[in-house]
Amino acid sequence: MILETRQLSKTYQVGQEEIHALRGVDFQADSGDFTVINGPSGSGKTTFLNLIACIDRPTSGEVMIEGQSTNQLSESHLAELRKHKIGLVFQTFNLIPVLSAYENVEYPLLLLGLNRAERRKRVMGLLEEVGLKDLARRRPDELSGGQRQRIAIARALVTEPKIVLADEPSANLDSETGKQVMGIMRHLNQDHHVAFIVVTHDPVVTQYAQRIVKIRDGQLSEENSRGASTKNPAA
Amino acid sequence: MELQLKIPLRNLTRNRRRTLLCVAIIALGTAMIYAVLGYVDQTLYQIRFGTVAQYGHFQIASPTLWSEKTEGYDYLIQDGKLAQIDQILKQQPEVEAYTTELSFSGLASTDRKTKVLRATALVPANTAHDYNEFVIDGQGQGLQPTDRGKALIGKLLAEELQLKPGDFFRVTTTTVDGAYNVGPLEVAGIFTVYNTQADSQLIFVPLSYGHTLLDTAGVAKVIVKLKNLDETNRVAAAVQQQLTAAGLDLEVRTGFQLAVFYQQAIAFFNMLFGFIMLSVAVLVFFIVLQVLTMSFLERTREVGTIRAIGTRSSQVFTMFLMESTFLAILGAAAGLVLGWVLGQGFNALGITWEPPGVSEAVPVQLRLMWSNAWPPFIVSLIATLLSALYPSIHSARLRIADALRTS
Repeated sequence: MILETRQLSKTYQVGQEEIHALRGVDFQADSGDFTVINGPSGSGKTTFLNLIACIDRPTSGEVMIEGQSTNQLSESHLAELRKHKIGLVFQTFNLIPVLSAYENVEYPLLLLGLNRAERRKRVMGLLEEVGLKDLARRRPDELSGGQRQRIAIARALVTEPKIVLADEPSANLDSETGKQVMGIMRHLNQDHHVAFIVVTHDPVVTQYAQRIVKIRDGQLSEENSRGASTKNPAA
Repeated sequence: MELQLKIPLRNLTRNRRRTLLCVAIIALGTAMIYAVLGYVDQTLYQIRFGTVAQYGHFQIASPTLWSEKTEGYDYLIQDGKLAQIDQILKQQPEVEAYTTELSFSGLASTDRKTKVLRATALVPANTAHDYNEFVIDGQGQGLQPTDRGKALIGKLLAEELQLKPGDFFRVTTTTVDGAYNVGPLEVAGIFTVYNTQADSQLIFVPLSYGHTLLDTAGVAKVIVKLKNLDETNRVAAAVQQQLTAAGLDLEVRTGFQLAVFYQQAIAFFNMLFGFIMLSVAVLVFFIVLQVLTMSFLERTREVGTIRAIGTRSSQVFTMFLMESTFLAILGAAAGLVLGWVLGQGFNALGITWEPPGVSEAVPVQLRLMWSNAWPPFIVSLIATLLSALYPSIHSARLRIADALRTS
């Protein structure tokens, strides 16, 4: 099991009021899964993604990556874990504007301390896979939205992570480009045998899912082939 | 290292106007400190030069002369002791030259006026202590070794007595035994040491004339000139040790110990420079703090992104600090160049002023040495890095999820 959550909860304090963004979520994902977590705005999608990406800490419950609990890990250990095992794709692409497409994809490899030749091999390989080898020298502001998202996908995969987490990856793209990006993600999922977890409110994205999980009011329910829901979708 | 260099360097070109503003502020601060330091250094250099010219590098005299507890002329150094001092000084290779002097007070009078004077009887044209260089151009000439009844007279005293080169006046004083003595003197030249008190009272006469007037063969002190100013304390201590070992009841004092004004001037100018430097540094600190805080805050989501993909907070902190370091180096270097160029322009203007107690206007000059470049460079660097500290720490410690939510 690559990823597992146990009774994961997150509560925010807003003034005197407590907001329960997640309520005791159990979830599992394995290598090669392509899971889409679908739900409306405010349902807890991004909170769930932040917790399983180890960029936020749960109020209770735990996140296990490859069987190891992340609850007790220090900030620097969590940074190491994210660097080696997790790739992230953001809704707004989040590329570093002062770096070229090549350098953006290369950035996580600099964190890993790989040598120049190895970095070049991996970066160019992935740029070719996302179809942007010829635009490697361009800065993000010289690329279209779809191209930027493909660079972001290449950056997420370049460290050969165990899991890629994508937060509304097609939300800032037109429908055609969104489909292209999802197609690339699905293709890379199959080629690299990496678990993809995509959170989205866009029903179109669910077409690419191998597995669909609904989220509503901070609770997950798996949608089976007959359209019926099962709460707490531990696979 | 590539990580710590590439992004900070590229970020400098990101918002060029803001970077230029920051560089300009740092450069202006650096240039101001450099200029002030140039002025202070030039002033202290002049004072140091004047002190050495007035007192020599060090002097040897009876402790009773230094303590001003002497009665009459019992402090005079006589021939036998002078021969021993001569031997000791010849053993010091750092000693370039030395001379002897005798001082006395008296009255200078012409047919029209009488004024109080302080006279220094010295060996004419001795390089250890030569006042001939203070003779004003066109106002006579210096004392020569063959001169006997001639004198150099202070500019203001000469004006009071209405004397010009070639004129005669009388000096009245008492001999070492207390008898009145009067002698005529011809004005060889008129000098200025740019000090009102000295210019209005002081005259220089040949030592042989002083001996005759005071009816003694003794001298008040031995004045020593060294080859290197920096060796003053070491050689003075060595000579003192040898004098004591030789059983001579004499005390060595350096020119800087004797010149109370020098000590006060050093303290004053150091305080002045410290105050101005601190003020400029504080100003640079607050302005750069504001600019950097704004600049770093704009990159909050970017920080969230790089943290999310595995950059440690310490690496984020280093990146921001490196960016600030580049900014500081750029600004400080530009400031030194700016300060040097403006300083040269200022020096070329030839502005003068009359400091208190100084009889003539002196040029205001900035001493723009490269050895003076380090303090303003370091101060600007530290001020900029201190101002970068808070926004850097703040950015590095951002909660990733919150940073990513920032629009």
